[in-house]
Amino acid sequence: MTSDTLAISATGLIKNFGGRRVVDGIDIAVPKGAIYGVLGPNGAGKTTTLRMLLGIIEPDGGHRTLLGHERPREASDQVGYLPEERGLYPAMKAKDAIAFLGALRGLDLKTGRKRAIDLLEAAGLGHAVDTKIRKLSKGMAQLVQLLGSVVHRPDLLVLDEPFSGLDPVNQERLEALIVAERDRGATILFSTHVMAHAERLCDRLCIIAGGKRRFEGTVADARGTLPMKAHYVPHHDGDGIAALLPADAVRDADGWRFTVPEDGAEAILKRLIDAGFGIAGLSIERPGLHEAFVRIVGAAAQDDEADSLEQAA
Amino acid sequence: MSAQQSNTRRLIRQTLTIARRDFIATVFTPTFLIFLFAPLIMGSFGAIGGLGALSMKQGNDTKDRIVAIVPPAEAAAMAAIDTRLRRIFRGRDERPPALVTEAPRGDAAARARAELQAKDYDVSAVLYGPLATPTILYGAQGARTADYLAELAEATLRAERSGGSAALSRPTKQSVARTKVSNGGKNQAAFFTVFGIFFLTLLLAGQAVGTMAEERSNKVIEVLAAAVPLESVFLGKLLGMFGVAVLFVGFWGTLVSQIAAIAPPGLAAALATIGPAVGMPVYVVLFFAYFTMAYMLLGAVFLSVGAQASTMREIQMLSLPITIVQVAMFGLASVAAAQPGTAVATFAEWFPFSSPFAMAARAANRPELWPHLLALAWQLLWVGIVITIGARAFRRGVLQSGSGKFSVKALFGR
Repeated sequence: MTSDTLAISATGLIKNFGGRRVVDGIDIAVPKGAIYGVLGPNGAGKTTTLRMLLGIIEPDGGHRTLLGHERPREASDQVGYLPEERGLYPAMKAKDAIAFLGALRGLDLKTGRKRAIDLLEAAGLGHAVDTKIRKLSKGMAQLVQLLGSVVHRPDLLVLDEPFSGLDPVNQERLEALIVAERDRGATILFSTHVMAHAERLCDRLCIIAGGKRRFEGTVADARGTLPMKAHYVPHHDGDGIAALLPADAVRDADGWRFTVPEDGAEAILKRLIDAGFGIAGLSIERPGLHEAFVRIVGAAAQDDEADSLEQAA
Repeated sequence: MSAQQSNTRRLIRQTLTIARRDFIATVFTPTFLIFLFAPLIMGSFGAIGGLGALSMKQGNDTKDRIVAIVPPAEAAAMAAIDTRLRRIFRGRDERPPALVTEAPRGDAAARARAELQAKDYDVSAVLYGPLATPTILYGAQGARTADYLAELAEATLRAERSGGSAALSRPTKQSVARTKVSNGGKNQAAFFTVFGIFFLTLLLAGQAVGTMAEERSNKVIEVLAAAVPLESVFLGKLLGMFGVAVLFVGFWGTLVSQIAAIAPPGLAAALATIGPAVGMPVYVVLFFAYFTMAYMLLGAVFLSVGAQASTMREIQMLSLPITIVQVAMFGLASVAAAQPGTAVATFAEWFPFSSPFAMAARAANRPELWPHLLALAWQLLWVGIVITIGARAFRRGVLQSGSGKFSVKALFGR
């Protein structure tokens, strides 16, 4: 991918806080027009990475460009941002808060207010147009801030943990808004540790753990890092089944679950049929992003532990 | 349009957006009315206190007296001279207590001592004996009234010897206004200038210390920092609060100027002798310019220091050192106003944080204009320096945009 096709490009980003390295050489390439997820457990360095990409804090090492600008501030008017720690002026009316956030990004206040009313109505918050922020619920205030991050129609929308604190209805609204923004032509970069949203939304994603990038690719690529899982229900159950299945096979309520070997499940199934157990049910599928995430992050933790033991030795 | 121009325009726009928000958030609240009318409240309390003190003083005045134990013939002359001399004194504070004359009976010395111990009224001094060699007894606070009684005795004796207490001299008095401001008037103008700017900044600039607290407590700072350079955030907040200050000054300035317009002619004539060396129109412009610079400079320092505080308690703790800094600058500039051209005055004019005060005093003391252009540029440069350092310290300390190790080089370097 070239810089013309990338909304964000970062290589070797490093950040230290108080002598501790919290981001350690992260590379990110976000294609224009994509929904890109930054996934990671708590404390992985997601927020610090996003803040460096946006120029809120300066990296201690590495290089990044944002919408073609080496200084992120120069692209400020084309960027929308929802920080992890939400914050609005409590005394402002909802429409004024949205217009103010737009004004910071170059939208004139009059247009901002007009668009704010439209956006609030579209988000089902038409009744709250003139309500002060302090009188809104936490979820509603969060939606208002989100609308404030898109009111100026940015080319790049950066959302840090946008789903946290929202009820399922508002989470769905937010998903719809993200898709709508992508359809408008914007690039969306968001961080989360809830895999379901990433699985539904992301065109590409990266997984960060311990300040390092552990994976980059599509959701399918991430799921592809794990072998297929089979769920087998025998026609006739018996004690000899376990011996014919792979070593990791475990029994559940109605059958057996096991990992499909790299050369496929045919040989196992043939042995089961030959032994007379038959096949009453069989499903073979890739594990979800959740399992892939757990495996990648778990492996990263083991690697880091091994590294630190090695260093200590 | 070049990228540089575009960036500058963006910075100005973002700065003004923040300034506008702060101005509106401050002015359009009921609390602002309390702030705006604070001087009135302060004045009302002062007036109530003053009235109380005045009525107390008046009560005391009716009880205070000086006594002259003299024969009736001398008493009449003495009373007439007392009436004439009293015209010289301006207020109740200057005027000696009322004169009471008594005819000598019995032991005059014993009576005089008894008067000083009287229960129903307070006698501060008593004169008795022949006017050529009178004895004057006085109490703890009666030294001046004793002098007055001595003068009264002298004048009465002279009147007796010249054949009567009627005034011998009949002067013709004419009031003549000065066409030029006196040197004393310039000094007074310089002091009033320093005090005026100090008073206004003391009242107004200190507010800047807590302005970042709002953004920190409601976490808006992250949104601002993502969209706007912190220097613009700082400058915007400073301009917003300065707008509030200008509104305050404008309101009270208009009110005071209207009161001055209906001031008694005597006061107007007295004020005419007080004036700045650069002339009134230029002085007004310079006063406002230096008030702006004093506000921006001290406000920027307070804002930067206050931005590091994370709780209201910390901000409240900062108010004392802030006041001390302001008073120190006032003291320095006052010396400069009283002793123009001295080394201290030159130092005060150059030292960035006392410069607005001292240079405003200079405008009152000396007529040259070019140093003011230089000084304003110098002060503006320091406003920029303080805001830049404040924003960078905030970025490193609060937003943690640094490796955690403090270094002066990092503070100044990009």
